[in-house]
Amino acid sequence: MSIFYEKFERHDHGRGLKGHSTHYCPGCGHGLAHKYVSDAVEQLGIQDRTVLVSPVGCSVFMFYYMDVGNTQAAHGRAPAVAIGHKLANPDSIVLSYQGDGDLASIGLAEIVSTAQLGIPLSVIFINNAIYGMTGGQLAPTTLMGQWSSTSPSGRDRLAGTPMRMAELIAQLDGPVYVERVALYDNKQRVKAQKAIKRAIQNQVEHKGFSFVEVLAECPTHLHKTPQETEKWVKEEMTKIFPLGVKKDVAAEPWPTIPVPTFDPGRLYQVVGGVAEAPARHCQGFPAIGFSDDIGLKLAGSGGDGAQTAALLIARAAINEGFDATHIPSYGPESRGGTSYADVRIAEKEVLSPAAPSPHILVAFNAPSLARFGPQVVPGGVVVYDSSTVAEAPALDPRVRVYGVPFTKIAQDLGKLVVKNIIALGALQAATGLFPKETFLGAIRQVLKEKASLIPLNETAFSRGVEAVAAKRS
Amino acid sequence: MSNSEGEKPRQRDRDRPFVFLEFCKGCGRCIDSCAKHCIHEGHAIHSATGLVPVEMDLAGCNECGLCFSACPEPWGMVAEGTDSPLAEPAHEFTPQVQERPIPERIPDERLPLADARPLVTKGAYAAAIGALLAGCRHFFGYPITPSTEGAELMAKLLPRVDGHFLQAVSEVATVNMMYGCGGAGLRSMTFTSSPGFSLMLDGISYMIGSEVPGVFIDVMRGGPGLGNIGPEQGDIKLACRGLGHGNTHAIVLAPSTPQEMLDFTMDAFELSFHYRNPVIVLADGYLGQMTGRVTLPKTMVKPGLPPWAVNGRASHRGNLINSIILDEKDLEAHNQYLDQKYLAMQKEQRADLYRCDDADVLILACNTPARMAKGAVGELRQQGISAGLFRPQTLWPFPIEALQPLLPKIDRIVVVEASSGQLEDEMRLALSHAGVMAPRIDHVRHAGGVLPSQAEVVARVAGARKSISGTAQQVIS
Repeated sequence: MSIFYEKFERHDHGRGLKGHSTHYCPGCGHGLAHKYVSDAVEQLGIQDRTVLVSPVGCSVFMFYYMDVGNTQAAHGRAPAVAIGHKLANPDSIVLSYQGDGDLASIGLAEIVSTAQLGIPLSVIFINNAIYGMTGGQLAPTTLMGQWSSTSPSGRDRLAGTPMRMAELIAQLDGPVYVERVALYDNKQRVKAQKAIKRAIQNQVEHKGFSFVEVLAECPTHLHKTPQETEKWVKEEMTKIFPLGVKKDVAAEPWPTIPVPTFDPGRLYQVVGGVAEAPARHCQGFPAIGFSDDIGLKLAGSGGDGAQTAALLIARAAINEGFDATHIPSYGPESRGGTSYADVRIAEKEVLSPAAPSPHILVAFNAPSLARFGPQVVPGGVVVYDSSTVAEAPALDPRVRVYGVPFTKIAQDLGKLVVKNIIALGALQAATGLFPKETFLGAIRQVLKEKASLIPLNETAFSRGVEAVAAKRS
Repeated sequence: MSNSEGEKPRQRDRDRPFVFLEFCKGCGRCIDSCAKHCIHEGHAIHSATGLVPVEMDLAGCNECGLCFSACPEPWGMVAEGTDSPLAEPAHEFTPQVQERPIPERIPDERLPLADARPLVTKGAYAAAIGALLAGCRHFFGYPITPSTEGAELMAKLLPRVDGHFLQAVSEVATVNMMYGCGGAGLRSMTFTSSPGFSLMLDGISYMIGSEVPGVFIDVMRGGPGLGNIGPEQGDIKLACRGLGHGNTHAIVLAPSTPQEMLDFTMDAFELSFHYRNPVIVLADGYLGQMTGRVTLPKTMVKPGLPPWAVNGRASHRGNLINSIILDEKDLEAHNQYLDQKYLAMQKEQRADLYRCDDADVLILACNTPARMAKGAVGELRQQGISAGLFRPQTLWPFPIEALQPLLPKIDRIVVVEASSGQLEDEMRLALSHAGVMAPRIDHVRHAGGVLPSQAEVVARVAGARKSISGTAQQVIS
């Protein structure tokens, strides 16, 4: 028979005439386009796997009539909704049926981007040159001089010119098939039937994105009889919207959309699961004269590696079974701007992750030292880059201060980027926060995928340690 | 070509037409379609429709079938002799049950996950990992700082589990892709930040109206307008009170640690599918960037398929995802149904109470400010002040049931937040609805990317406490 419901139960609960009659006005082109969609779905044998996305506009109620999976979309968004359905089940055949306000006005971004994506979908675009549902307002496709309730003197240039969607879509790379058809006589109707079927068949064959623009009649809002409207479409609309195939390319089939896997082993690996517990080197929480909640600040310019060093400290702490947090703070530039990191380490649980009064400060440059040095708590430790800081500011005498030439040592090693690891070594030696092996373990963990860099980083760490030791001796 | 032709012995285009007069609107499109001039403009007004159906004289009919293709009405013109149920007039006025397949329900499975040592990862990544563990394999999104890291990790990891990452043309398209994917019964999500979340609200209203699940992680940033990329909590009112137009609500989870970013994202998918409603995870810019210890769960989810989905399967053919309900009574009934659902969601209230048992002062905070507040509780306790932290983990529904029993014991609530009172408003509304006498309410507020500091919270609690000693313990707020 057809894929129309035998009774339109969703149409006013199927009461009375509405059980078998559409809500369309006499002579409306929508009914014909619906019929051709129905015929195509039936002939292609895809009723069970068809998902129809109804738009906003007169065809908002398409789901009243078609016995397929139905979704109703927000105004203009049908192609986006269709993408969601298609990716959810690549075997489904997803039809997006839209009018001219929906597709060519509010939904331009969605239709253009979806067409360019080229994903196998079938879009049926009904262009009747007027807003139907809201009552005869100007559409993007309204002809010049055409009356509408929002162009009461006829469309003029101040209201723009008619939007030719088929041509616009056809010039995109994504679509495989674009055609404009009409409904005004037998010949055009046969072409329209074929085009709609073709657009759907392309999707069945996973070829790509297909688009059929249908010039349709809206006798009500054109204030004409159905026959006059057919004539108007034929004589007026087709002048601006020429019929025919706009694009038909033998493209490679669209890539196969993968079927998700839920294999726990694979997922475990993908999210970075590691069973082996890291070696521990600490005898209890570091008793280095601070509380059971240690705050560190690492500060420098973007590119100094303050964040990486901070992350390594947090990782080292967590490897030892403690809790730790790191929060970064950047200036607006990604390089050369300020880059500060707060690290907190607690035996059981870090309460506040911020370190406004740090126990330990690592400063990579003079402004950082000047800004954060005075915030370090009495008894705290400051390690700074003496290659870049000519003269350290006077700090609380109870704060232990170590100037280590991070940059110079890094230059000697031939890799400026390891200055943060040198700083980490210096920090270890200056504070005894964790044993050296704890830091080295964290460094090796992070560089697991770039093992060739491990020796250099180990050397850099040792040089930092040695530099502080030399100062002490 | 057609693969069903063999099953359809009767070809419509070799039939003679028959018009059901009550379903003919008299548009006359069939008249010109007939080369044999068998169809004519009608003259008699049909009593049931008030329209004038066409008239036919099929003497010259050559069964070309072109009139069928010219009739816009599905049941206006049918093949003569069709054993259509419509041919039986009584049929139209008797109740009918159309044959519908029973939609299949494929249950979710929980699969064991091997033990792993804690990850050291940032909040945004933890949320992405949580989504993968919850069975989400579809991500739609639009880049926006400071939420982008989550999307970037999804883009990297999803292909490795044969999932799909799609960068949409906008946040508006994003939410509608989620509408489609969620409507198909699958778990989808996005990461966004405040301006992007604003753009998604319209779509969220459609999702709620159509009962489509989906998880939104909003890493809140400074506003209004373009604002900045610092941490703020200025979207609480949107998430709790402003999910687009109409009668909308969604569970709003407020994590405070990278661990909770993972856990709550996993929970969000469960809640979202349990209630067939979107779920919002509200984070802040700091939390997205905050690295910490994250323990993986013991199990992961292999999602099934709910029976209501429009998934492009035979048994789901009768399903509909839709929010347009024309009849006023029907739409009111739908709203009442949603209200019942919102009421049921009340049992999802969650709060974390830290040293509240003997507290005189409650500090109420969520997200990153709750961390500063927690530090303040520790500091205040050292000063001998009995402070406790009441941390709502759901902002909607607000955890009033956990708060209410504490009220008789406390002098004061200090609300600590990175917004101009949006959290406090939620609390005040919950207190008001509960009909309870509120204690004195103070606050520490910041906005624009500035977070309340631990020192400020301590000062507010310790300082103001002295100033109110001896005053009435309860005032009506």
